[in-house]
This record gives sequence, C-alpha cells and structure tokens, in this order.
Amino acid sequence: MFHSKIIDFISKKKLHKYFALFITFLKASTFTFAGGLAVVPAIERDAVEKYHLLNKDEFMEYATLSQTMPGVIALNCATLVGRHAGGFVGMLAAGFGAILPAFSLMVLATIAANMIPQQGPLLGAMQGIRAASAALILSAAFSLGRYNLKNAFAIVLMIAVFLLTVFGNLSAPLLVVLSGIAGCIYQRIRRYRERRVDNDC
Amino acid sequence: MIVECLKLFYTFVKLGFLSFGGGYAMLSMIMSEAQQFSVSKVQFADLNALDMVVPGSIAINAATYVGYMHQGLAGAISATIGVSLPSFVLTIVIMRFFARFKDNVYLTDTLSGIKPAAVGLIAAAAITIAAEVLVIQGKKLGDVFLNPLSTFSLAGVIIFIVTAVLNIRFKVNPILLTVLAGIVGAFVMS
Repeated sequence: MFHSKIIDFISKKKLHKYFALFITFLKASTFTFAGGLAVVPAIERDAVEKYHLLNKDEFMEYATLSQTMPGVIALNCATLVGRHAGGFVGMLAAGFGAILPAFSLMVLATIAANMIPQQGPLLGAMQGIRAASAALILSAAFSLGRYNLKNAFAIVLMIAVFLLTVFGNLSAPLLVVLSGIAGCIYQRIRRYRERRVDNDC
Repeated sequence: MIVECLKLFYTFVKLGFLSFGGGYAMLSMIMSEAQQFSVSKVQFADLNALDMVVPGSIAINAATYVGYMHQGLAGAISATIGVSLPSFVLTIVIMRFFARFKDNVYLTDTLSGIKPAAVGLIAAAAITIAAEVLVIQGKKLGDVFLNPLSTFSLAGVIIFIVTAVLNIRFKVNPILLTVLAGIVGAFVMS
C-alpha cells in the first residue's frame, strides 16, 4: 500500500515535469515569429522561474550551446533543456512542444496560400510581397554579416561562397563542408604564425 | 510516394546536420536542394513571406512547406521529422561529452569558416530569388544585356530597394514592410 503510493507520487511528479517541458516550448514556439534567439527570454521565464526545471546559469549555458550546434536553434534549446530536466522522455516532450505549432500552423498557412487566385490585384499584391521578401532575406545576410565578418579571411570566404553559389551553381552542403575545412586550415596557420613571431622576439 | 518521402527525409536530415547559424542559413541551404523537390524560386519568396507571419522556427516552417508542396501532408511530416532529428541525436551525444564539446578547438575552428560561408549563402539566396521575382514574366534574366529596362519590373525593383534600405538601415518592422509591399503591389503591379 505504502509502496504503491510512493510509485504513484514519483510518476505524478515526473508526468508533471514532462507536461511543464511540453507547455514551456509549445508556448515559446507559438508566440515567437522570427525563431532563433527571440525565443530565449520567453523560455527562461517559464523554465527557470515558473516551473523550476533548471537554474538560470544552466539555462544560459544551454541557450549558448544551442546556437553553436548545427540544426534548428529553438529546437536545440528545447532538446537540451528537456534532456537535462526530464531525461529521454523529457527531451521528446520538449522537442515535440517546439515542433508542433510551427508544423501545424505552417500546413494550414500553406493550404490557405495555395488557394489565393493568381490573377488581378491579388497577383499584384503577391508580386509586391515577393519583392519585399527577397529584400528581407538580403537584410538577414547583412545582420548576420555584421557579427561574423570581422577579418579579411571571413570576407574573402563569404564572397567566394556567394560567387560559387550564384555563378558556379555548387550545392550549399558541399560549400559548408569546404568552408569548415578552410576555417580549420586558416586558424591553424594563424596560430603557427603567432607562435613563430613569439619565438623571434 | 514512399520513395519521395524518404528522399525528403534524407535531404532534410543532411541539411539539419550541416546547417549552422540559424533559420536563414538553413533557408538558403534548403533553397539550393529544393530544385529536386519541384519548389521554384518564386515559391521560395512566398515561403519567406509566410515564415514571417507563421509562428515557430524558420527552418521547421520551411521544411513543412517544401514537404507539403512536394508530397502533401506525408511529405510535410517526413521533411519536418528529418530537419528535427539532428537536434535530438546531437543532444544525446553532446550531453554525454558536454565539457569536451564546449571549448573544442576543432569546433571553433570549423565554425570560423562556416559562419562567413552562411552569410555568403544567404546573400546568394537573396540575389537569386530577387533575380527571379523581379524579372517580368515571360522574359529571361539573360535579356538584361539586350534591354535592361524592359527586363525588370520597375515597381518590383523599387519595392525591393526601398524595403532593403528601410529594414537594414532604419530597422522598420519586416511584417509591416511586407504588408505595405502587398498593398503597393495590388495597385501598381496588376
């Protein structure tokens, strides 16, 4: 009798945790539009202050790590926090919460967008929106470049990738792998040179 | 159909593992792979506009859209699971070797190359989409050398430049700009 009560208590506590993880990331994913870093404060409020799933330092560490990892940043944050707070099942609960709104709302939006007739004023509106949309992607390149183009190597590499994509028609995954290798070689040469300068002095 | 869904799944797993730097970096990579899934560059411009009004991660939205356009709901599910899988797998691996992963020299070296590359990929995506959506229907981009003025839609080019300047220089809200562009387009471009 006593035994079963303990088991009941534990599983209830666990279930509560899974539910908290799911709700935290479901909410964060539903109420942020741009994705990426915009979700961090919302998740912090729920995960740290409301549900006490982890402390603030741990959370900040995971938020930083989720940007270094490849893949979807908001989802990385969900799986890391979920795994930390609730093990494997917690990871699934948090991850599923982060995916669900983006997926289901996008399916509805795609169906709705496909029903827009492509003629008359609506076609004109679509063409205007497409022109603005291309400009906003360019703007994304600018804001990312502001932080990541800090030396000559980065600028040359960026221009090379740009030209090879537009005119060379090389595939993006290949270029990413090659750029990673280029980064390794460049940093190694840089360290080697610094060491030689130090020795000469 | 199953083969096509598996192809979607495989492509998005690959993109998920290789994309660093967030939504737009992944969007540009998806665009380079999307030709095999019959999603045109014009549809990519639509996708980006939808991304802004639909909540959630840009990359998940993009996977759902490309999957749906190619194979309906089953395609959308395959692509979304594919793009999400790397996060789950890497979380399990990284949590096991957390301390070693965080300050790994090879990782920071690799990222020092990948981050500038991501900027180049996004810029390339923007220019490729712009070239496609700004050319008047029925004309080819090559015509620009023969007759530059009648190749591009003048209203489109103006909307493109004004939107870029207002957003980059003056940080005007992107959703507001999209709505305004739609209104201007409805009057001028139809």
